[in-house]
Amino acid sequence: MAEENTTDPTQGNSKLVGLLAQFDDPDSLVHACDQARQAGYTKTDAYSPFPVHGIDPALGIKRTVLPFIVLGIALGAVFIGLGMQWYTNGGSIGGVSTDESPLFPGYRFKISGKPYFSLPANIPVTFEVIVLSSAFASFFGMWFLNKLPMLANPLHRISRFKRATNDKFFLMIKNADAKFDRGSTEAQLNEWGAVAVEECRQDLTDIRLPGWLRLVALIGAILLMLPPVAIFRAMGMTNRAPRLHFMPDMDWQDKSKTQTVSPRLVNDEFLFADERAMRAPVDGSVARGQLDADPEMYRGIKRDYTPAVSVTTATGSVRTSLGPNQNQQDVPAAAPPAEDVSMFITTFPDEIEVTEELLARGQQRFNIYCTACHGFSGNGNGLVNQRALALAATGKATWTTAKSLHDPMVKDPEKNPIGRIFDTITNGRATMGPYGDQIPTADRWAIVAYVKALQETGIEPPVVVAEEGGAVAEGTTTEPSKTGDGTKPRP
Amino acid sequence: MHETRPAKITSPITTLNGGHIRTIPVALIVGAAGIGAALLLSGFSSKRFLFAYLTSFCFVLSISLGCLFFVTIMHLTRAGWSVTIRRIAEYWAMCSFPLFILFLPVLATVLVGSDTIYSWNVGGWSIHPHDAETTAAKAAAAASTSISDRPPLEQLKYAFLNKWFFTARIVAYFLMWGGMAWFFLKNSLKQDESGDKSLTARMQAFSAPFMILFAVTIVFSSFDLEMSLSALWFSTMFPVYFFAGAFLSGLCVIMLTGFWLQRTGRVTDEITIEHYHDLGKLMQGFIIFWGYIAFSQFMLIWYANIPEETFWYNLRINQPGWMTLSLILLVGHLFIPFFLLMGRGLRRNRQLLTLSAVFILVMHWVDHYWVIMPQMSPETNKYTLGGSGFLIDAACLVGVIALFIALFCLIARNRSLVPLKDPRLGEALNHEVH
Amino acid sequence: MATVNPVLDNTYDDAAKRTPLVLGGLDYAGVTDDVCKIWEEEKPQKIWFLVLGVAFSLLLVLGACVGHLLMKGTGVWGNNNPAYWGWPIVNFVFWVGIGHAGTLISAILFLFRQNWRTSINRAAEAMTIFAVICAGLFPGIHIGRVWAFYWLFPVPTEHLAMWPNFRSPLLWDVFAVSTYATVSVLFWYMGMVPDIATFRDRCKTRIGKLVYGLLSLGWTGSARAWHRYEIAYTILAALATPLVLSVHTIVSFDFAVSQVPGWHTTIFPPYFVAGAIFSGFAMVVTLLVPVRKMYGLENLITLRHLENMCKIIMATGMMVGTAYGIEFFIAWYSGVQYESYAFYNRAFGNYWWAYWIMVSCNVLIPQVFWIKWCRTTPWFMVIICIFVNIGMWFERFVITVTSLCRDFVPSSWAYFHPTWIDLLMLIGSFGLFTTLFALFCRYLPVIAMAEVKGVIPRDHDH
Repeated sequence: MAEENTTDPTQGNSKLVGLLAQFDDPDSLVHACDQARQAGYTKTDAYSPFPVHGIDPALGIKRTVLPFIVLGIALGAVFIGLGMQWYTNGGSIGGVSTDESPLFPGYRFKISGKPYFSLPANIPVTFEVIVLSSAFASFFGMWFLNKLPMLANPLHRISRFKRATNDKFFLMIKNADAKFDRGSTEAQLNEWGAVAVEECRQDLTDIRLPGWLRLVALIGAILLMLPPVAIFRAMGMTNRAPRLHFMPDMDWQDKSKTQTVSPRLVNDEFLFADERAMRAPVDGSVARGQLDADPEMYRGIKRDYTPAVSVTTATGSVRTSLGPNQNQQDVPAAAPPAEDVSMFITTFPDEIEVTEELLARGQQRFNIYCTACHGFSGNGNGLVNQRALALAATGKATWTTAKSLHDPMVKDPEKNPIGRIFDTITNGRATMGPYGDQIPTADRWAIVAYVKALQETGIEPPVVVAEEGGAVAEGTTTEPSKTGDGTKPRP
Repeated sequence: MHETRPAKITSPITTLNGGHIRTIPVALIVGAAGIGAALLLSGFSSKRFLFAYLTSFCFVLSISLGCLFFVTIMHLTRAGWSVTIRRIAEYWAMCSFPLFILFLPVLATVLVGSDTIYSWNVGGWSIHPHDAETTAAKAAAAASTSISDRPPLEQLKYAFLNKWFFTARIVAYFLMWGGMAWFFLKNSLKQDESGDKSLTARMQAFSAPFMILFAVTIVFSSFDLEMSLSALWFSTMFPVYFFAGAFLSGLCVIMLTGFWLQRTGRVTDEITIEHYHDLGKLMQGFIIFWGYIAFSQFMLIWYANIPEETFWYNLRINQPGWMTLSLILLVGHLFIPFFLLMGRGLRRNRQLLTLSAVFILVMHWVDHYWVIMPQMSPETNKYTLGGSGFLIDAACLVGVIALFIALFCLIARNRSLVPLKDPRLGEALNHEVH
Repeated sequence: MATVNPVLDNTYDDAAKRTPLVLGGLDYAGVTDDVCKIWEEEKPQKIWFLVLGVAFSLLLVLGACVGHLLMKGTGVWGNNNPAYWGWPIVNFVFWVGIGHAGTLISAILFLFRQNWRTSINRAAEAMTIFAVICAGLFPGIHIGRVWAFYWLFPVPTEHLAMWPNFRSPLLWDVFAVSTYATVSVLFWYMGMVPDIATFRDRCKTRIGKLVYGLLSLGWTGSARAWHRYEIAYTILAALATPLVLSVHTIVSFDFAVSQVPGWHTTIFPPYFVAGAIFSGFAMVVTLLVPVRKMYGLENLITLRHLENMCKIIMATGMMVGTAYGIEFFIAWYSGVQYESYAFYNRAFGNYWWAYWIMVSCNVLIPQVFWIKWCRTTPWFMVIICIFVNIGMWFERFVITVTSLCRDFVPSSWAYFHPTWIDLLMLIGSFGLFTTLFALFCRYLPVIAMAEVKGVIPRDHDH
């Protein structure tokens, strides 16, 4: 019976799918479905603009397996979610961690004292992974079970059926049903209250793919091949041109860096004639807070002092400082007798008041800056000095031993007035480097005060032991030109 | 297609039908025996007994409050489906007021100035005695009668944690709970006679302010009853945690009461599997909610790792036995019931629902146990789990539950177990879960 | 077929019977016609062009700001030490919060069988997606070099040779927000498939037939398809409900896992969720009242719907208020000086104005909904809802900025100043949101027709 109906001779190129009956309200649809089921039809389906309550039992629809599919995916997602976090954050089993993996190793880092794999912190992401996977499972599971998308459907050819998504209800009894009979089924449907009954036919030409679509697909496939081909070609070639910069990424900025060439103008001339990007301050300009007008405070030199002789840098004077105070203090240090000691102030400047606080500050600064060479007690036996002497003893280096601050000459207020100590710290003396740039003015005065206090303690200058003395002698003799006032070994 | 049931009560028996006459004496005897046995087993150690007692008390109180919330929210949302199970919840909610009597032993310890239960009742509670000096300081603070001799933190908290204010608050909570439950029960019973539908509107109108009142009382009562056991600890999430467990257990008890009544031939027609199915869904929802709240509270404290907060969890995790109990709570209060109630088939199976409800209630008791018990001796950490200690807790639990059931029977007495003339009765009778 | 009810006010309370959710005697065809007429009209109303025009110009402003930001760097914002989280994060949390009502209305109200959701869920879901797009924008551009955004995900790259840190709440956010956006789109689209099929069957233009034909997946409304569809929809709703909670919970974790006073408080997860629902519902009301008026949808989006939403707004507003109260109480009760100071400073410190705007807009103003007139007068509730959203924006501002500007190191205390880019971006994000919503109203089914038809009372029901 079913075979007879599969092809209908009168309709040439089409096939009878079934009979479609229209109903006007959901209750009559459910009623008809019930009747159809009781009449023994199984290949039936109902179509309605909204889910009709009670139609599932009427049509004999079994509960879908979708929930179980979703459950399965969700349980799998637990392991995927946790596993992903365990692997990527360098989890380990029995001492073997994923960060030793040769390909895509895990990445270990300590964050707020938490273990690499810390379950509470991994719950949120695991949860999201479960929800995302389950949502996809239920969404696409529904597509799969409902065979969606199904864009070609003979029902869409029936103009009456357009109201199935609006306000009408339909029951289809399919040709494939064993009990289907064109005539009697139609009669039954009318009997069950159908408003209209119509044949649903499958136009067999509908099933074939249109010719133009094949052409489009072919062209599309060829076009899709182009990007990978281009990528592989580029990967197999050498190219000296700089790579394309899609995003500036702050790689180019409108500024010149230090020690670089001057920017160029449009006509390729340099913006600055000296071709340097760095600029010196304008002549006569004084940086904020750097006026330093008072010579007593900033240089340790009396206000009323006028140089008797014009000084030039003597040989042997080692000056590395490029500080602003340099030109005023170009005093030959290598020849103390020639130096005009009288220019230095003998008391502290007015701004500096010697207090216990100042001494404490001086001690602290002294301990930071001076003790490396001069030692904590100032007897010239700091760690740098000891190490340098040891090295010099093996002939690997030369060294001019650090001065003891308790040396009678250093202590002598005539030869070394307060201003001169300040000057020594600021600009250095002999092999001692200048500290004017490192130590602020007030702190230098504090150190001066502390040095004076230290000298008052009466610590004896150290006696150089024989071997060391020899070493020192060796060291000093190698560079006689540089032995200033502080280089003579103590007897 | 489907038949619509008329909005009429058809069950032959809709009251306890004299069942309470037998139940009440039995329950009272079991209650007295259980509590007596607990006292005996604890060797008349008031501390050990009272902690076990407080655990069971908080357990039944939270059930009662869960039912009160159920009634309030059903009125607030104009729910029709739940009409036939609402009366059961109303009776259980009404039990909250007489539960005050059961709280008296605990309140007495506070009023006599003892720190048996609430350590903040005696000065020096914020001092952890670990050497001679701190022990002496603690003793000095405890001995002093003047508040100004106490450490600054205790002085600050004294404004809230002192025996008179505490007592006043407790009395206020019970009055408010009792008032709300009585209002709902009275109007509902009145409707049984008159069928006046304006009563429904009246209860709905009052349910909104009652909800606010409920929120405020549950916040502070959870602070007072359980959180202040550890007077140093604080967590803004705690009331939500307390509430989540309370509503969950309330749902379980409503369901179990329904099963019990129907097994004994009462209200056989009015409560259908559809109602149990929906209760089951709510239960599952609140299992997830409880898990969510419990996890969030733990995670935030664990992650931030601030000593002021972590010590509370430390007591429950880094102690022998307690870690096991914490894991039991996690698995038993979250994962097992989650899977037990998953799926339509499982939620429509009466045996399985009974099992789930009983299991959740047991776990809910464990939850209170887990919150309360470690505070018994947090300083010495001497209190360990297991052994004969469980017998004390079990006996006490049986006793308190028996008294709770006696209260229910006393309140329900000869009254109807379903609303007889609720305007939405038809909706509930025809309720169907799609 | 349907009850003929000439009165549009269905907010009366009659316990004996349910209020009809569809008024004006609409039958199935009437619902279809009412909803489709928006999309079928030849030329949209002038007001639609006006709204779209304004919104689109704001969107262009946003585009210009984002372009400027990408060229210049994040320094164009007011974010600076100590408030490294400024307006961008405030805007992010604000928009994500708004994006909660849609899925919440759809999912939770669906699970609780609150039938009144059917008229409003579609627009609310659309709003969710557009709000999440706005929200995603801000952390997206906050990463500075947006072209490297894929570093946020565990993508195996040979040259990077590292993975994201899964213990960081910011990474949880990446997963939460992207999952939420994806699931919301799935949920929205799945709900729309039957309605798009209606469009397909009514469409007259060729291009429309093609587009709606493809989008409807060949939906026929078969009973078997409906059966699986309903189950899949229920599962999605059941998944979306905890997802909604988790998203704002994780957003709250961004703050609460830290030790910053005012951020580290355990009630943040439910408190943020309640706040999100609060602001989301306020936004739904703000959008639906004009839409309902413009398109004459009073029969479908009835006063009862609006009244219910007002009640939810009031309820969630009070939850948020309770959380403010608990926070304050515990800040005092804890006895921790930093906590106490943080909250004292919020209310009485230099940001007192922001705090009191927040409290008055979120807690005090919604209390007017106790009065029936206020919750049944559409124009009035829109004003209240706008206040609510102002308040919720300020809530995020208060949480983010006051705590950062007064952290543990007093030497770094400062006052946060937004720049004009900050301001234009906030305004521009409203342009993006409104543009998308206006296009949605015109080209997609604004009301879930299939679901509304399901709640039209049938003859034997009464």
